[in-house]
Amino acid sequence: MSVEVDVDESDLAEMVEQVWESYLDPEGVSPLMQNYDHDQPTEVHSSVSITGAWNGHVVYASSRAAAQRAAAAFLAMEIDEVSEEDISDTLGELANIVGGNVKAMLPPGSQLSLPQVVLAPESTARYPSAERISGIYGTWEGEPVSISMWHASAETKEEGA
Amino acid sequence: MTPMRAMVIDDSRAMRMILKRIVTKLNFEAIEAGDGKEALDLLADMTEVPELALIDWNMPNMNGLEFVTKVRADPRLREMTLVMVTTESEQSQIVRALAAGAHEYVIKPFTEGAMIEKLALLGLVPTGANS
Repeated sequence: MSVEVDVDESDLAEMVEQVWESYLDPEGVSPLMQNYDHDQPTEVHSSVSITGAWNGHVVYASSRAAAQRAAAAFLAMEIDEVSEEDISDTLGELANIVGGNVKAMLPPGSQLSLPQVVLAPESTARYPSAERISGIYGTWEGEPVSISMWHASAETKEEGA
Repeated sequence: MTPMRAMVIDDSRAMRMILKRIVTKLNFEAIEAGDGKEALDLLADMTEVPELALIDWNMPNMNGLEFVTKVRADPRLREMTLVMVTTESEQSQIVRALAAGAHEYVIKPFTEGAMIEKLALLGLVPTGANS
């Protein structure tokens, strides 16, 4: 059985703001600017799955340039020094942080998976029978970034999770 | 004088880098581990136990709660200050970690200032170290 959740876009926006303030933009000079474009193209993504009282996924997606910039900010290095491993690790941690905070707003007893990272565009095919229920869509220094929540039926889990 | 040492235990290298930057700024020598088991293996080989461990919860092989429980069961490690640093922010999880023997609990995301404040409350920030 899966319950309805009250995590809405303003909750997600608050979490995202905290992530930017803590790691990606501690100086407060380049926040994520929302553009509400659900269909903006992305090139890489990461996700965590939540199972239990609520079943679904939290997905972080962005352009490769935004992912490089995020890794550079996380790891305190220059953008041209960022490796694929750095990008993968940073994207995983971003999904983990947002997903963990989403889980805290759900009924007790839910489980959070370890993050999965795919350095390829987000695709609905990875979340069979899941429906996107909420999201923050915008640009960070001109590059597309999104954080979205997907609700799945209790019987459905992410492929390979 | 021998510097204080801090173990940074997280499966995310990115998070280990962030934590390592903070503790290094506070004049700790940082020791990294990718999960609880690796941390215990490192501790087994050490003659002197680190003063501090910053511990993620969700990790492969051995999670942070198991690590805390094992450390608290080992008299040799009882002086270590254990701080959970995790996205697990449900009240019940915080209670479990503290009951298992963690001294403090920091929820991700955290700012550098917030982490330093927590460590200062534990008496682990030398005067002037964070200026």
